Amino acid sequence: MSKTTKMAGLFRPKKLDLSGFVNTRLIRDNNKRMAFEQTEPERQALRYMIRNTSLSGRVRAQAQLQLAQMHPYTRPTQIKNRCVASGTARSVFRDFRINRYQFRMQALAGELPGVRKASW
Amino acid sequence: MFSYTSRSLIGVSTSLRVPVPFRSLSSPTQPTPPEQEKTPVQDPTSTPAAAAPAEAAPVTPTPAATPDATPVATPAATPAATAPASIAPVAPMEAEQITEPKVKEWSERLGAFGEENRLPRSVQAIYLRPLRRKVEYGLPVCDLQLRSYSVRNVEFFTDFAIRAAYYLNLPVSGPVPLPRIVERWTVPRSNFVHKKSQENFERITLRRLVQIKDGNPQAVQAWLAFLRKHAFYGVGMKANVWEHDSLDAGKAMDASVAEVEEALRPELAQFGQRKDNSGPGTIFDTLNNERFAERKRL
Repeated sequence: MSKTTKMAGLFRPKKLDLSGFVNTRLIRDNNKRMAFEQTEPERQALRYMIRNTSLSGRVRAQAQLQLAQMHPYTRPTQIKNRCVASGTARSVFRDFRINRYQFRMQALAGELPGVRKASW
Repeated sequence: MFSYTSRSLIGVSTSLRVPVPFRSLSSPTQPTPPEQEKTPVQDPTSTPAAAAPAEAAPVTPTPAATPDATPVATPAATPAATAPASIAPVAPMEAEQITEPKVKEWSERLGAFGEENRLPRSVQAIYLRPLRRKVEYGLPVCDLQLRSYSVRNVEFFTDFAIRAAYYLNLPVSGPVPLPRIVERWTVPRSNFVHKKSQENFERITLRRLVQIKDGNPQAVQAWLAFLRKHAFYGVGMKANVWEHDSLDAGKAMDASVAEVEEALRPELAQFGQRKDNSGPGTIFDTLNNERFAERKRL
């Protein structure tokens, strides 16, 4: 556990590179995205070796171990879309990258171009 | 695009210049020209002295404007509403001779403007339907799709694009109103528990298609660049441009094979496994070497 927290700092940029609404969880998610982006070639190489049946079993097993030992932040499944206006992780619209509540507030305020109240 | 006041003013000036019997205004004598796009309704009756470009629809008084003009032109002493319309153009002339007011009636001033200082043709064309070039072969060259959330913006910019194409000598077909894209979202008004009360939002994207037919490719590029330069707020543009070649395209490509191969040789020489990389050792040596470790920063 202590190792993980220590390692997580590796992916954190020296200077905050986010603007707008900033949250601890939003920063953490951003770190995960950065970590995944940096290690993606290595990850893909290991995945390729694991699945390649023409390689020897030993090599493939080693590749599996190495992939499993990579930092959890480098996994793409760790990435979660978050609301850019409030940092919430639930019911975030992909179209606007905004939470449903923020969407309603901004739509009613007329801040989302073209979005209006519908009745049919 | 069309400001309704100025349109009606032009109609007034023409009606004053040429005495048109009221009967001919009320009953259309000429067939209605086919509507090319959603322009405001034009009166089918055309005045012979209307100063209009040859290809354009002639200047016609709008039905709303002409009945208004007659009572204004008559002097205030005579009851305007019941006066016969055929006398109406003559009546202001008599009134002018008698009194000669310092400030003329606005309709007369407009008439003088229409007769002596006419608008330039290009400016006058703004009040008419957009001019179009004749299509010769009908070969599509460019498809321009305009998108917006507001009808007003997309209609305006489509009109602008069609007019610009005319002056670049490009035949245009369209605008074709493509199906609207309707996106809808339903969100709960408040917390999870109050799921029963929800609110609907929608966003409707309106689309117009303008197609250029058998135009010069350079002119098409110039047209697109012009539209990008004068892009209108809230209107997105997407263009598909097709280039047409002669039937001997295959021969031309065959002839250029040698050149292409020569150009690709340095690139293709690097294709395959690197000799310096296929030395002894496993892939893990590569993964753990300095360059890789530097990249992964772990």
